Amino acid sequence: MSVGVGSDQATRVCASSELAPGEMREATLGRLPAVVIRLHDGSLHALVNRCLHHGAPLARGRLGHGSRGEDGVGDYRADASVDALRCPWHGYEYDVRTGCTLFDPSRRLRRLTVWEEAGSVLLAP
Amino acid sequence: MTATSETTFTPGRERTEIVDIDVHERAALDELVPYLEPQWRRYITEFGWQPERLLPYAQPTAGGLDRADAKLPDGRPGGSDLGLVREQLLDLYDIDTAVLTGWLNASALGAGWPEFKTGLMTAYNDWQVQTWLERESRLVGSIHVNAHDPAGAAREIDRLADHPRIVQVMLYIGDRPFGDPFFEPVFAAAARHGLVVGIHHSENSPTALGHHRLYAEWHTLISQVFMSQVVSLVFNGVFDRHPQLRVAMIEGGFSWVPHIMWRSDQQWRELRSEVPWLARRPSDVIREHIRFATQPIEEMTARQFLGLVEQMESDELILFSSDYPHWDFDSPERALPPGLPDELTRKIFAGNARATYRLPGNA
Repeated sequence: MSVGVGSDQATRVCASSELAPGEMREATLGRLPAVVIRLHDGSLHALVNRCLHHGAPLARGRLGHGSRGEDGVGDYRADASVDALRCPWHGYEYDVRTGCTLFDPSRRLRRLTVWEEAGSVLLAP
Repeated sequence: MTATSETTFTPGRERTEIVDIDVHERAALDELVPYLEPQWRRYITEFGWQPERLLPYAQPTAGGLDRADAKLPDGRPGGSDLGLVREQLLDLYDIDTAVLTGWLNASALGAGWPEFKTGLMTAYNDWQVQTWLERESRLVGSIHVNAHDPAGAAREIDRLADHPRIVQVMLYIGDRPFGDPFFEPVFAAAARHGLVVGIHHSENSPTALGHHRLYAEWHTLISQVFMSQVVSLVFNGVFDRHPQLRVAMIEGGFSWVPHIMWRSDQQWRELRSEVPWLARRPSDVIREHIRFATQPIEEMTARQFLGLVEQMESDELILFSSDYPHWDFDSPERALPPGLPDELTRKIFAGNARATYRLPGNA
């Protein structure tokens, strides 16, 4: 369904109540596959739903935290400042907020515009 | 970068025939119980036997061993359901033929309870035929054997070899080189029936130094055990004894093959007195008898890929494989670098596999 709010190309994804914190949903914007994510802080994010690597559907992957190890071998730390989406196949990790891979910030998934209005989650290019 | 910019296939190009030589179906142990001879059933139902797992790590991926999206909603692992295999592989990529390579192969397990494990392979094979081959015509199958019981393995090969959709004898790699004459009955039986011997990596395959601290190290070094197996088969004369035998090395990639060819030839010349039964250069034996599945393919350019083919001095050695449903699945659309010649692409995706497995088809 397309709605004329803010953009002629906006698409309704779901009701706001159907996307809880920590969850993600698959959507399409025209022919473009998208993954819409609500993080635990309530913020919404949307990325193209195809891994840069082999094209896997990222919405079938896992949401979690980043990890750090700046003190060297054996230093394992969860990094709650990074919300990571992990590919269901080979495990490429993406920063949900930027679309960048965690191993190389210059490699980035296209981000889409997502917002809430009148109880719906809306998606646009 | 768009989602399709790195695909192998050019839109509008003639359809590419695909034979995938590494697709894993999977049984739950309780599914095999009805197929077991009565004396072995209680080993599972009462004694609680489970496959010995030597890998000192879990698979630290989104879905463990499997692609996260290949697991069933009811929790069953990837490869448990033919319908999902059709949806995610056979239909999605328009696969013409897929070679089933299984899950439970006693050759990579411990040597204990050999008679039970031989019986378990019989049950697995019957389950495979009934549950998969008889329900899907695009699938061909493998005879799983317990190589720790070579006589029993040979009997199992003799029992099933005439099945029209069985194309291979399957050995998973544990910690023993298969060129050891101990395993001779297995290769003799495969050769007797004209079956390929598929040698496949497993969670019980070590590295050259056993198990390192990290899973990432182990998974990086997968190719080491394949180098060992190629050298073992060639230097121990398996192909001299069985001049018609074909072997497929599965889930080991191929970029290391030129190194092994060159080094084996050099050692054969320098140390020939130790292996006087070898009449031919090892690299010639490899080119004639051994084929290599693509997955897990290294990410390289077309130029780098073509360089390897040139170094192997043959374009008939590489066979496409996806390793579905495992996490390191190689998509047919992304496995090969764009820009390879069409003829080579057709050989890798189908022609080489059809020749190796004697499959009917277009190539």
